[in-house]
Amino acid sequence: MRSIVCVAAVCAGVCAPTALALDKCLVCHAAVADKPSSLFARDIHHLKGISCAGCHGGDASTDDMEKAMDRGAGFIGVPKGDSVSAVCARCHSDATTMAGYQSTLPTNQYVLLQSSVHGKLSISGKERIVQCTTCHNAHGITKVTDPASPVYPVNAAATCARCHGDAKFMRLYNPSLPVDQLEKYRTSVHGAKNAAGDAKTAQCASCHGSHDILSIKDVKSKVYPTNIPTTCASCHSNAAYMASYAIPTDQFEKYAKGVHGVALLEKHDLGAPACNNCHGNHGATPPGVESISKVCGICHALNADLFSSSPHKKGFDEMKKPECETCHGNHGIVAASNVLIGNSSGSVCSRCHSEKEREKGFVAAGVMRMLIDSLQRADDRARTLVDEAEQKGMEISEAKYKLRDVRQAQLETRTIVHAFSSEKLRETTGKGFAAAAVITVEANSAIDEYFFRRIGLGAATFSITVLAVSLYLYIRRIERKQRQAEASH
Amino acid sequence: MKTISNRLYAWIDERVQLKDLVAFMAKKYVPVHRGSIWYYFGGVSLFLFIIQVVTGILLLLYYKGSESLAFESVQFIMSKVTFGWLIRSIHSWTANLFILSALIHMFSVFFERAYRRPREVTWLTGMLMLFVGLGFGFSGYLLPWNELSYFATKVGTDIAGVIPVVGKPIMIFLRGETDVTGATLSRFFGFHIAVLPGIFTVLLAVHLLLVQRQGMSQPQEFEATPAENRKTMPFFPNFLLRDLLFWLIILNVLAMLAVFFPWELGRKADPFASAPAGIRPEWYFLFMFQSLKYIPARLWFIDGEIFGVLLFGAAGLLWLLVPFWDRKSSGGKRNRLITYIGLFVVVYIIIFTLLGWFL
Amino acid sequence: MLTMNEHISTPADGGKRDFLKYILGGSLIAWASSVLYPLFAYMRPPVQTEVEVSSVKAGKLSTFDKDSGTIVRFGNKPVILIRTSTGEFRSFSATCTHLDCTVQYRKDMGVIWCACHNGKYDLNGHNISGPPPRPLDGYRVIIQGDDIFISKQT
Repeated sequence: MRSIVCVAAVCAGVCAPTALALDKCLVCHAAVADKPSSLFARDIHHLKGISCAGCHGGDASTDDMEKAMDRGAGFIGVPKGDSVSAVCARCHSDATTMAGYQSTLPTNQYVLLQSSVHGKLSISGKERIVQCTTCHNAHGITKVTDPASPVYPVNAAATCARCHGDAKFMRLYNPSLPVDQLEKYRTSVHGAKNAAGDAKTAQCASCHGSHDILSIKDVKSKVYPTNIPTTCASCHSNAAYMASYAIPTDQFEKYAKGVHGVALLEKHDLGAPACNNCHGNHGATPPGVESISKVCGICHALNADLFSSSPHKKGFDEMKKPECETCHGNHGIVAASNVLIGNSSGSVCSRCHSEKEREKGFVAAGVMRMLIDSLQRADDRARTLVDEAEQKGMEISEAKYKLRDVRQAQLETRTIVHAFSSEKLRETTGKGFAAAAVITVEANSAIDEYFFRRIGLGAATFSITVLAVSLYLYIRRIERKQRQAEASH
Repeated sequence: MKTISNRLYAWIDERVQLKDLVAFMAKKYVPVHRGSIWYYFGGVSLFLFIIQVVTGILLLLYYKGSESLAFESVQFIMSKVTFGWLIRSIHSWTANLFILSALIHMFSVFFERAYRRPREVTWLTGMLMLFVGLGFGFSGYLLPWNELSYFATKVGTDIAGVIPVVGKPIMIFLRGETDVTGATLSRFFGFHIAVLPGIFTVLLAVHLLLVQRQGMSQPQEFEATPAENRKTMPFFPNFLLRDLLFWLIILNVLAMLAVFFPWELGRKADPFASAPAGIRPEWYFLFMFQSLKYIPARLWFIDGEIFGVLLFGAAGLLWLLVPFWDRKSSGGKRNRLITYIGLFVVVYIIIFTLLGWFL
Repeated sequence: MLTMNEHISTPADGGKRDFLKYILGGSLIAWASSVLYPLFAYMRPPVQTEVEVSSVKAGKLSTFDKDSGTIVRFGNKPVILIRTSTGEFRSFSATCTHLDCTVQYRKDMGVIWCACHNGKYDLNGHNISGPPPRPLDGYRVIIQGDDIFISKQT
């Protein structure tokens, strides 16, 4: 009965004659029009001349079903679980085999997959979570560059979301992972462009990898905090790649030299922001933030609060200027210094404030800078004096401890400037000046004491020396008299 | 001026019969010979002791003897009290100079055989005063409650505890508990300002009384020379004025030490911190401390440390009792052995002190 | 009249003796003062910097009953906080102006009373009976929500 069907299929002429001639399995299965075979018609393996037996084993050259699907001839039936990937790997991990097909594909996918987070055991306990076919499909496999492929950049997000958007499924593996990445992604520039068909823009695999996906807590992961800047930079710093987009490509360069970059990349301070902390992971901005210009306040909350109640808030909003970025920059944030405020070169205030324009701010900036500089000088003076007293061996531990108060006041001024009010700053610097004054007095009196001791010693020594000498002379005189008295007896 | 002093003298004499005392004192003379310079060191030790009493009482005005306050009170004295630095540094320096002067005095008496009959009790009281002085030094050293003093006390009382049979009870008596704690500080404070001064005063009174009654000891060579060839000087005013001159100079030296080498404050004691590197006792205990290091851990059946302690105890006892076993000197004959023993002890102490200091 | 002066001083001798005695006496006094001055200066207590307290929190409104008085610590001085029967808060220094004992509120007498010598002050701090010569210093009471603060009268 089957053989009749097969012959009928031959007559139907579903497949190309050459392929058909080689792949008798397909001939029969196409005749019954089952799903795998209709998919396989477009499959790259089929186009390369690999038959069904290439994966399923058996004998593809015979019409005889029993012979074709003979276990003895190597037929494995429908592979299940890890055997699926093992079948793929039989060729795809073998460089010689791949070379035989003039393939430039890498051959390490299986190894990478096995050590990736997807290579872990599934809840069934019998197989890995993901097999090759999970993403690439089983029968209609096309090149990655083919728009029909589920792993073509434009389709990748939807493919990942098949599992990662399924709350019930993800709960079985990692309940703490969000399942709305796709929705969030679509709100972002990357997601919007991707939806419009741009294959160059970032999608899941661009950042997370494809076969080598590791947990974000793994130091080797492409999206581990210290690696994120380089991951983003792999596209965003590539001028040629980004040529068709109208954005600069120097962000990573600037970031790496700025405070945040140095902290994260050189000092490995995981508290410092990487690209995603400000720009969002999948979404356009981090959750709860209305726009990127307001994102700094997530960490720098006090400064953001002060700014919001300062006269700058209204002005900046009216001028549609971003809040923190205007003065501090976005990627190449320079470490704050006293120079930033004031009317000298290097100060940001003079960008908007001058003697003619917005004079109130100009004056306030000058006052604030003067106060900050004075406090710095007071701190330096106090420190020098305490050092001098210490070098002279005087007990000065209390004043030395008080020096912390001056530093504290200086640190507080760095924050309070964001209120942009010279009165508030005066209050804060006032505390520092008071402490510095006390320290200066104490240190000076310690130094004076040092000299007093030596002068006092000198005076005492002088009086003792005079006394000793006169006493000695007195003794000599007495003894002379005694000798004279004895001699005369 | 003269009439006032005469009237004062007459007033006191009426009540105390000063005339007899003055007559007796006027006859006091000091032998003048090669070793006369050593006569000063008894007076110097006395002077330094008086300085200790005066500065000690002044320190008492501000020092607080409890674990939580001791270090801070000394810091207060050194930094905030007017001339506190001077009083404290003088007190600490004088402590060391007193021990040095007492040792010089003791060795000079030893080499001059001044301990011989009839001055045995003078020698005994003097030796006991030296021991009490060492006790003063040891107890006083803990009072600033800094790191060095805490650990020095720990080690010192540990060694006391090594003495067989009575060692442990002595150690607990000294410490107030099994470990060095605030209780030890209170105890040492009490010893330092009340117990030891009391004992010392009694010994000093006996010592001075004997010296006054018996007069200055004359070296054997001096006694050998005929009476006409003996050179002497009256105690009043010659020797006394010279004494005062010497004391003046020492006082100035002390002031200089206090200004240029102020005594350190150190770091507050922390019983749970590890002992700082180079921990060692004050220099006057160093030779014993160093000697103990060289004794092997076990000698036949005795623990090395116990052996060392017992050895030093026996040596000290022999030294203390020298007037009684040096019969030759008491009999008036030259005893070279004493000189050799004395030299050996001096050299030993110096060498081991240096070893302990620099190694 | 030679009994007092046994030695007849020759002019040369006398000059030298006097000069030396003067120097001796003078330097003795100088030295004595250089020793005694530090000793006495040492005994004078050093100035202790007092921590300035300008206001303290006395507690919650609800903890003070009507017609009661409480002693509150203000820096290192005691201060008495009175809540009158009408609910009003008043605060005065609790150091009696007589001999510095600490006063208390006597509900039965309705006055501030000093136990040492029976001195009495009214609820405005005025001395009304007994040895106190002056009224008690007043302090400001500030009520912020549920909290009572006592601060110095500026």
